[in-house]
Amino acid sequence: MNWRALFARQEFIILVILIALCSIIAIINPTAFLSVQNLFRILRACIVLGIFALGTLIVLISGGIDVSFPAVAITALYISTRIIVDTGIDSVPLAFLLGSLIGLALGLVNGVFIGIFRLPTLIVTLGTLNLFRGALLFFVGSERIRLSEVTTNFAEASRLNLVTVQLARGEASLHFTFALLLVLALVVWFILSRTMLGRAIYAIGGDREAAERAGFNIVRTQFFIYGFVGLLAGIGGIVYGILSREADPFSIVGAELDVIAAVVLGGALITGGRGTVIGTLLGVLLITVISNNLVLLGIPTEWQRLVIGILIIIGVGIPALQALRRRSTRLTHSSG
Amino acid sequence: MLRRFMISMLLILSVFAIFGVVTAQDSATPGPLFEVTNKYTMATVVKITGIAWFDRMEQGIGWFGQDFPSVTAFQQGPAEADAAQQVQVIEDLIAQGVDSLCVIPFQPETVEPVLQRAREQGIVVITHESSAQQNIDFDIEAFDNAAFGRNLMDNLAERMNFEGEYTVFVGSLTSKTHNEWVDSAIAHQIATYPNMTLVGDKNESFDDPQVAYEKMQELLVQFPNLRGVQGSASTDVAGVGQAVEEAGLQDEIVVVGTSLPSIARDLIPTGAVDMISFWDPAYAGYACNLIALTMLEGKMPSQLTDGTGLPPFLSFGFPNLPGYGSMTLNNGKAFYGSAWVEVTAENLANYDF
Repeated sequence: MNWRALFARQEFIILVILIALCSIIAIINPTAFLSVQNLFRILRACIVLGIFALGTLIVLISGGIDVSFPAVAITALYISTRIIVDTGIDSVPLAFLLGSLIGLALGLVNGVFIGIFRLPTLIVTLGTLNLFRGALLFFVGSERIRLSEVTTNFAEASRLNLVTVQLARGEASLHFTFALLLVLALVVWFILSRTMLGRAIYAIGGDREAAERAGFNIVRTQFFIYGFVGLLAGIGGIVYGILSREADPFSIVGAELDVIAAVVLGGALITGGRGTVIGTLLGVLLITVISNNLVLLGIPTEWQRLVIGILIIIGVGIPALQALRRRSTRLTHSSG
Repeated sequence: MLRRFMISMLLILSVFAIFGVVTAQDSATPGPLFEVTNKYTMATVVKITGIAWFDRMEQGIGWFGQDFPSVTAFQQGPAEADAAQQVQVIEDLIAQGVDSLCVIPFQPETVEPVLQRAREQGIVVITHESSAQQNIDFDIEAFDNAAFGRNLMDNLAERMNFEGEYTVFVGSLTSKTHNEWVDSAIAHQIATYPNMTLVGDKNESFDDPQVAYEKMQELLVQFPNLRGVQGSASTDVAGVGQAVEEAGLQDEIVVVGTSLPSIARDLIPTGAVDMISFWDPAYAGYACNLIALTMLEGKMPSQLTDGTGLPPFLSFGFPNLPGYGSMTLNNGKAFYGSAWVEVTAENLANYDF
């Protein structure tokens, strides 16, 4: 193993920061931080953020950016809930199926503009973010729906746990959708590193023209990327509904910044061509630990944004500096 | 692909079209207070139509019509919560020549001019939830905020056996009513329940159950001996109760607060939320119209000053209108009842809004 290469990897830097942060919190407030209750709380907070991050990872690798996924997620959740309520078919698998299909359909709308019309991804998804959300509020409604008021099975899913641990006072449990996050992470890892499609996504992000010459079908790949991201967002929306026990058209929107921050912290290049599932999951974990545990250090909640900002600059800045140094060494060598 | 988008939009529209309506439950009317033979047209103007809260109020208006058969009482409101649209509804009713208007203003200052015009034409004008309104005969408030906050604290303290750590939630530090409830509750605790301790600052939930949920999870880790929570925004107890339930602490931690049965219904039977409080819009609507009718019939005493109760026929003669049996007057224009409703697992089934 080449140590210098290991140190230079973003995933390693994030892991070090994560371990350092956890150590500090654990030393200062061991009873609160090192409890099963707190561990499960952190893992639970990772679920929705993680599902969104997996989608964002794929888009970033392909050299694009998608800020519309929160609108896709909430639209998928809200319409699915309405359909379940109105048809009376109160089924959790149906909710996931509907959510995935709605997410896929909305994601493909992005795909049309980006793949066929070749418009800039940020502009397109900024537009569809507002379009989807506006259409939802205008056509479907803005009323918050408590799942327990209108459904039984869908609402009961929020009480389904993988494991429950009895504590001296109360209990701690890990929600079943955490397993879903792990499955989706495996799927994304498989696509990215074991399929030709994954190669195409990296190739487009690295150098679009070169990818085209190498024979990759750019448009088809982009349709896959944005459709799949929509699908993941739809699933994430349903999971969000189950975890929060409600469908509120005003929720989720605003999540995009934390998600993109997590993926970028996890080593994905915003310019495309680089990024890994493991790095992304580490990034999600880091953001979650920061936003859920700084209070254990006695740091007020208002400071969380500041700390996240500093960490992004450090986490992204170090590799950028290293890259700069490498390039300048190379330039000196070639001129000399 | 655009076609697929259009299809999804059509789907959205069809979902919208078949969305069901809330069916309101019927109860007995309070019963007439006095005989009325004159014919009056009495309108109630709400902030928005079609939501459970004002559907419930319309029921109260229905009771009023049954109790006073010579009176035509009805409720109207804009389809969206919009100040300009509400003004338009009031304009139309003035043109129709109603005898009284009971208005729940969306924006108190926006309706002032149109209310002034109504009064100039001799229409009796009563408002609700708008104690600082100028161009009115009277305003009616379900309760005094300080008393409501103290009542929540009494409920919290009793269920905590008058001892242990508790904390409070508000929508935001600038939500006036929330802070009035919580401040009076804390003052009441300090004066009355010395074995209870407030821990942490006022927690802000921004009227979002998810924020309340995450805050409560933090508080559970931060204060392992926490035994009670008082919520303010209607969604506070939903988020707090969910965190309590997931931590298996429903028997250890008492959760009380302002909320509606439709928001906290699944959490009350399990004990994750112990008691919620609110006011019943049906009785508020009834009380508004009753005051208007009292004025139309010329039964309102001309000498009403601050701090006096309502005339005897209102305060003693009306036991069937819960919470409005005895009211106090503030600023010469705003009547305050004590019309809060307490809901626990026992009476939850009686409320469908």
